[in-house]
Formats: sequence, C-alpha cells, structure tokens
Amino acid sequence: MKLPFSFLPVSSDAAFPSRLELKGPILALFLENGNNRVIVYAVVDSGADVCVFPASVARDLKLSLQKDKVSAFSGFGETTQIAYFEEIQATILPMESAEIGADQEPISFPLYAGFCETLEHVGMGLLGQEGFFSRFKVNFHNSQNFFEIV
Amino acid sequence: MTPIDLTAVLKDAPIGEWLALSFKRDRIVAHAPNLTDAKEAAHKLGEAMPIMMKAPPPHALIL
Repeated sequence: MKLPFSFLPVSSDAAFPSRLELKGPILALFLENGNNRVIVYAVVDSGADVCVFPASVARDLKLSLQKDKVSAFSGFGETTQIAYFEEIQATILPMESAEIGADQEPISFPLYAGFCETLEHVGMGLLGQEGFFSRFKVNFHNSQNFFEIV
Repeated sequence: MTPIDLTAVLKDAPIGEWLALSFKRDRIVAHAPNLTDAKEAAHKLGEAMPIMMKAPPPHALIL
C-alpha cells in the first residue's frame, strides 16, 4: 500500500523562522474491539519500541485494561510512563491522493497495543517496532512524499 | 507525490480538544474535550467514519 506523507501545521521559532508545517508519515487506522470502533491517526515511528495510543482511544473502544498487562516505557524526558496493553484489531485505511487511486485494499492485522494517558496531548497513535515494523516492511520515500507498507 | 495538506483544515482547530475530521479530511465536523463525545457528535451530523485526532501543538513533536 502506498500512502502520501501529510503536512501538519506548526509555528515558526528562532531555530526554524520560515517553518509553517511539518511533514510526517501519518496514516488513518481503523481500530476495533468487538462492535466498538474508531478511526484514529497514527504516526509510523521506527523509533518507538511498541505501538501505543492515547488512553481516550481505549475508553472509546470500551477496553477493560488489566493491570497484569501494564508496561513501563520512557520517551525523550526522564519520566517513566505507563501503558496498558490489550489485543485489538487494526486496519490500515487507504488514503487517496492525486496520484493514488481508491483501488488499494485495506490491510487488517491483530495488534497488541498499549494505551497511556501521557500520549493524550499528542492525540495520535504511534506505530513502532513491536507489532508494526515486526509485521510489515516499510519503505520511506521522504523526498517523493510517500511511504509504502508491504 | 502530492502530500496530504492538513494545515488549512487544522489552522484554527481548538488546541487540546479531540477533533472529528471528515473522512475526506477536508473539514472538522465536530470537536469536544472528550474523544467519544466528538465522535458521536460527528455521527449525529452525518459523518459515519470520522477520523479522530487532536489539534497538534504549535511546536514540533519528538516522540
């Protein structure tokens, strides 16, 4: 599946005075827990060890998160964060653009995903090594504005 | 390839709230502090498959 990169707005600052946008490998992911469903954006992030989503997504999917499936991780800061993991079903949705037709098939897969409060401010999921890159081959073509999931 | 440009649709989005984007990503259908509330509001407005996200913070994210 070929997917275009997305531009998100960002403010300029002293280091990047002319910057108005950031380009990232973002995809729309259809998540299911039984009859509970939601579509969220997720960043394809090879630097993330696991796949994690904001805790709001777990609440919307009515997941009963178990304390015996808790895992600690850390990001850029020193603070240790906690994620609760559960098995869900995920489907990568094709994203049409001028050069990509609507004929690409969605890709469904079981995903052992974490959910954490500290990702709330991001408002998107992260698709990392365990569960995503371990399952798919991902080719980034940044200069050509697309990435490919095989 | 032409990238998907979300800058215009997110330009005036309320930071910190959950947004329900239209599936074509061309407008914000609904927003609310709570994801489920924003999603259900979008459904009531006829958007069957909203894409949920938060307005990105004004600075870059290093995740």
